[in-house]
Amino acid sequence: MSEPAPERSFEELQRELEDVVARLERGDVAVDDAIALFRRGEELYRACVERLRSAELRIEELTPPGPDA
Amino acid sequence: MKVEGVLHGERTVYSVSAFNRGVSIFLRRLPTVWIEGEVTELRRNPAWANVFLTLKDPVTAATLGVTIPRRAFDRLELGLDEGETVHVAGRAELYEARGALGLRATTIERVGLGGHLLALEQLKRRLAAEGLFEPGRKRPLPRVPRAVGILTGADAAARGDLVTTIGRRFPAAKVVVCETRVQGRGAPQAIVAALGRLGEHPEIDVVVLARGGGSFEDLLPFSDEAVVRAVAASRVPVVSAVGHEQDTPLCDLAADERAPTPTAAGALVVPDARELGAAVEACRRRLELAVRALVTRDEARLARLRDRLRGAPQLLLERRRGALDHAGARLQALSPLATLGRGYAIVRAEGVAVREASAVAPGERLEIELSVGALGARVEDVHA
Repeated sequence: MSEPAPERSFEELQRELEDVVARLERGDVAVDDAIALFRRGEELYRACVERLRSAELRIEELTPPGPDA
Repeated sequence: MKVEGVLHGERTVYSVSAFNRGVSIFLRRLPTVWIEGEVTELRRNPAWANVFLTLKDPVTAATLGVTIPRRAFDRLELGLDEGETVHVAGRAELYEARGALGLRATTIERVGLGGHLLALEQLKRRLAAEGLFEPGRKRPLPRVPRAVGILTGADAAARGDLVTTIGRRFPAAKVVVCETRVQGRGAPQAIVAALGRLGEHPEIDVVVLARGGGSFEDLLPFSDEAVVRAVAASRVPVVSAVGHEQDTPLCDLAADERAPTPTAAGALVVPDARELGAAVEACRRRLELAVRALVTRDEARLARLRDRLRGAPQLLLERRRGALDHAGARLQALSPLATLGRGYAIVRAEGVAVREASAVAPGERLEIELSVGALGARVEDVHA
């Protein structure tokens, strides 16, 4: 699964997806651009779904610093 | 036990040890009492069986030495500092080796919840005046954090509730747990340090302070000035889930959100994955619809273009034909044949049109072309 950018948050991905949809809905794009946008939208959609799907809650333990540690 | 003296004539004389012993035994008859004083010297050494402290009367400055078994002291987890006012339960005791009177304590309680409350109220007012609790400072929580930082004590219930709620609502979440000392001595520093650690974590977008219910004293570290400031200064938004609903530690006021329970905090920090999934699916449907609409629109545009393109040669041809007809008419007008039609004739001698009479001689043969047919003729006279 190719993620657009692994560092990006779900929110950023979802926001970009909404932007892509909005631009396509506005309709003032050339055919070639529309196709590129659609592909991008699909990619973002898959990235979002993938983020939601990861099954197990991941738990990381941080050891506290400080004098009592 | 008997304290024996030695007779010196009429006096009974006691040794120092015997005297101390005697007084010591006598003192044991005194009941256990509560004594209030200010802690001035506190000496605790893990190698010692007892903890030593000195109680001072704040009015007269009279002092009293206190000993308490180290294990009993540690169990109290008081985080006691010098200068604090305490109630000590104990009995008088003589330290026989030095004849020093002291108090053998069984327990110590910090007094002055009233004092604490007052100090807390003052701190609250001071921090409020600084604007630390301003609603305008509150940051919105991220809708979908990359990771949730959890600061918790060895409090299995609070941690468990929080982690379970997060896992149920948003299974793809990541939590980073920092377990630290949250009550007693050193707790404020430990909490500040743990907040710092969580704040440094690159993925953490929100931190939850998860601390179950506890006594007023237990929750005091969450009202510590350093902790409150650290919460306000946190790089990421902080949700305070400290104590029960009725408790309002100052960190609640400095936090960006307050949750009455760890479970409620869990619902605040992660979204419901099912709702989010539905939103994403809706987005995809809109994406498809939008593209389909665009394609349909472009198809219609293309069809119109195609029709115009197909129509074009026909139009061109018609236009050309018009031009041709016009040219034909003009050509027709210029044709000598048309002139002949009106009764004129062309006279040629040896194929060359004759324009002047002098160009031919009598007897020469001529070709006369008429509108219809031609004549052969000979020249009779020439009138030049």
